[in-house]
Amino acid sequence: MIETFRIAAFALVLVLPVTASAANKQYRLQVDGLACPFCAYGIEKKLNQTKGLENIDIDINAGTVTVTMAKGASMSKAQASQIVKDSGFTLRAFSKLAK
Amino acid sequence: MKHLFLRAALTVTLAAGINTPLLAHGPLFSPAPETIFKGGTQLTFGFDTRKVTGAGIRQKEYKSTMEANYGLTADWEIGIEAPYSWKQQNGATANGFGDITLGTKYQFWGRDLPAAQYKAAALFKVKLPTGKDSTTPRLGSGSTDVTAGLVTGYESRRWYWFASAVYKANGEGAGSLTKGDQQSLNLVGGIRPVLGNYKEPDTVLMLELNWENSQRDDLAGTSLANTGGWELFVSPVIWWTYRQIAVRGGVQFAIANDLNGSQSTTDYRGKAELVYHF
Repeated sequence: MIETFRIAAFALVLVLPVTASAANKQYRLQVDGLACPFCAYGIEKKLNQTKGLENIDIDINAGTVTVTMAKGASMSKAQASQIVKDSGFTLRAFSKLAK
Repeated sequence: MKHLFLRAALTVTLAAGINTPLLAHGPLFSPAPETIFKGGTQLTFGFDTRKVTGAGIRQKEYKSTMEANYGLTADWEIGIEAPYSWKQQNGATANGFGDITLGTKYQFWGRDLPAAQYKAAALFKVKLPTGKDSTTPRLGSGSTDVTAGLVTGYESRRWYWFASAVYKANGEGAGSLTKGDQQSLNLVGGIRPVLGNYKEPDTVLMLELNWENSQRDDLAGTSLANTGGWELFVSPVIWWTYRQIAVRGGVQFAIANDLNGSQSTTDYRGKAELVYHF
């Protein structure tokens, strides 16, 4: 019985990280200067050039851009900062969202 | 005498060209400090109309303009503007391509805040004598003109304001005519009545105050008396956008002037633009 439990626990420890890394990573970018929808298109365009990006959600009223990456893909803060800068804005904060 | 009157009328008409929409993103009749995002391209298709009367002159002009801008960086853009005009002056008509303008704008200062931006930029344009200057009325000035300006502004979710100063130095054109240098000062206020979100239509209303001054024209070394002076315009503008498409329109009404001698004056100028960036 105990042996079965140990095997099950061991299997769970092996499976869980794989499951977690297989989930889509989401990031929230807090962007300063985001006032105009017409101007915000630049962020969408630059982000769409990012490899592994699956979805973008721009909320101008909240000043945030939520990015969903494909399985196995990720985004760094430096990468996000450069994209936002090239779009004409400033990255105020960058966080990874828990799934 | 008639020739001088025609030249004077041309002065008023072309004086309006100091605030051409090259590199514009914001006000319609004056510059804005914004630049397009890095690697972005913006196409603008514009249509202008203006009416000038007085001093024996009746002139109407319709002009379509194609403008293309490209973002070298997020702070620096270059552009080209090519107009096609239909002009009518005292019964004479002419149509064809006008003078091409090359321009650049560099945003040298900016401060981004939550849901707001302050920006300042310098702009520089060169108008080349590519339009025909042998037609009546003329489609091109025959001169190479240089424009430099400074513009600053504030953009937030609700409110806008812009201020700009522009100087245009005109070269010698056809027939040894050098149009007087021009200056303009512009103040703009704007409001976004409804705060929508990104994938929703967006409307902004603006009101511009445009002051344009021209120095006297020079004809083969002689200063022309019936040229030069200033005009002040109030210009309501509406701007509608959806994602990467913008439609803008406005009218300039002359509300005051102090023109030298006997000259025709601007009755109105109208402008509409379709803007697309990608």
